[in-house]
Amino acid sequence: MVTKNEFYAIFEMLFWPLVTLISVGLLGEFLYLSKNEIAFIIIGVIALSVVHIVQIDVTYVMLLDMWSMSLKYIIVSPMPFYRMVLGAWLFGAVRGVVSLSLLIILSSAIFNFSFELPFSSALIFAIGLFASAMLIGIFNCILILIFGRRAEIFAWTLTAIVMIFCGIYYPVTILPEPFRTFGLLIPITHFLEYFRSFYGFSPTLENPLVIGIGETVIYLLVLLITAELSMKRARKTGLVLKLSG
Amino acid sequence: MKAVECKNVWMIYRNFMEKSVTALRGVSLDIETGEIFGILGPNGAGKTTLISVLSTILIPTKGDVRILGMDAFKNTKKVRELINISSGVRLPWGMKVYECLRFYALCYGITDRSIIEKLIADFELEEYRNTRFDDLSAGNKQKLNLARAFLNSPEVVFLDEPTANLDPDIARKIREMILQIIDRNDTTVILTTHNMREAEMLCERIAFIRDGKIIAEGTAEELKKFIKANERIIVRFKEPVKSLPISVPYELNGNSAIFYVDNAEKATPKIVLELSNAGIEVESVKMEEITLEDVFIELSENY
Repeated sequence: MVTKNEFYAIFEMLFWPLVTLISVGLLGEFLYLSKNEIAFIIIGVIALSVVHIVQIDVTYVMLLDMWSMSLKYIIVSPMPFYRMVLGAWLFGAVRGVVSLSLLIILSSAIFNFSFELPFSSALIFAIGLFASAMLIGIFNCILILIFGRRAEIFAWTLTAIVMIFCGIYYPVTILPEPFRTFGLLIPITHFLEYFRSFYGFSPTLENPLVIGIGETVIYLLVLLITAELSMKRARKTGLVLKLSG
Repeated sequence: MKAVECKNVWMIYRNFMEKSVTALRGVSLDIETGEIFGILGPNGAGKTTLISVLSTILIPTKGDVRILGMDAFKNTKKVRELINISSGVRLPWGMKVYECLRFYALCYGITDRSIIEKLIADFELEEYRNTRFDDLSAGNKQKLNLARAFLNSPEVVFLDEPTANLDPDIARKIREMILQIIDRNDTTVILTTHNMREAEMLCERIAFIRDGKIIAEGTAEELKKFIKANERIIVRFKEPVKSLPISVPYELNGNSAIFYVDNAEKATPKIVLELSNAGIEVESVKMEEITLEDVFIELSENY
């Protein structure tokens, strides 16, 4: 409801993903990449776009209320933080599905990308991506609750930082240590490797899906507890009042 | 049962890489249920901090707060179901009036749309129901924020300067709307304001806060006793005067003086005669009752 009237929310969902898809796809054609190599990088583009859209909706839990200086009204309501996140995530997931579908259709039409996952695997991949996006969104909210407006910039940069380490356009095996290990601690790495395994690329670790889901569940619990503690801290230090204008 | 009990509350703001600021220093207050309680004080006195603590937005550094008999920070969820706050006129700019109320209603688990419709009617927002928050006038923004504050039919509502920056006619209308709703629901209201007339008109009891401390508390009549006079006489002179040979307490300001007396009608002829005997020519004389504004100035400057 908060974002549905915002033009930029629609723009964010359609414009940037399309620009990225077309430019990266054309780069692949220019470099005479094979069909599977183009698929490799297109999966990266799709993941990056979808994760960004969903995480930004979760981050908006704090960001929009902070911008409109109305955070106190959310805080004073009896709704717990995890429900705010869940609501925003569900809305983000709807936007994510729209963007994901659009990107798959266009990449298939423009770059002959064939979507080779069975429906159940595709669903698990999408849920995995959306859940990973939720983690980034909650992490952004925590940063805002700790550092205030100074952390605003992370809403747009954190996805990109995470994507460097999780192998968006390359396998994590090419990363030097300790970045390679760091990459393997990011659930998106495993969801990407799971998707790419359908295109003939072997995952770094066996059972990428199980590892990805396991990491997601652990991080989600840790982040939700940290978010509650950060909120409590922000109420003690007075930061919430500053963020409310 | 008391609506609000607050004992020795301290609030020290401590932010990352910033100097700590003590906003409340041992505030204690008791507010009865159904009461309209005013919190007055100059800018930066701690009014907003105090109602933010009482409404559970902030956790105090020290002290106890009980709302409707419950510890506000041990039963926060239950307390939040029974209270609400309106502070400033900021709400998500992209939401339309109806959407905004629906969104906040859902935050309280309220799905009954008739509650929203009733508030839209009560606050005369019918013709703006599809208008975005950003496109509303200041008065309608305030009305919407107040409507939002009454969504959960709160037993205790905190109103932080509900008529600030509004035209007098709109401010009066909003005061009437607030009174109608709280009369109907027997709501306890804790109100901060800069408007002394508003405080006198609405509040049964008032607390003055300065530098984070409550420096006076009571009914408007009780507070006026701080001035140690019931009335004042404003005398304007034909020429500026440096001093006055008069025993009555006064404030001299160039070519006018204010005398504080218990009975202006009796004291005026005596003062005018004494001024005349001292060779000071009087241009005009005006008698006024002591107002809460005088108390505010007195308490802000001298306590």
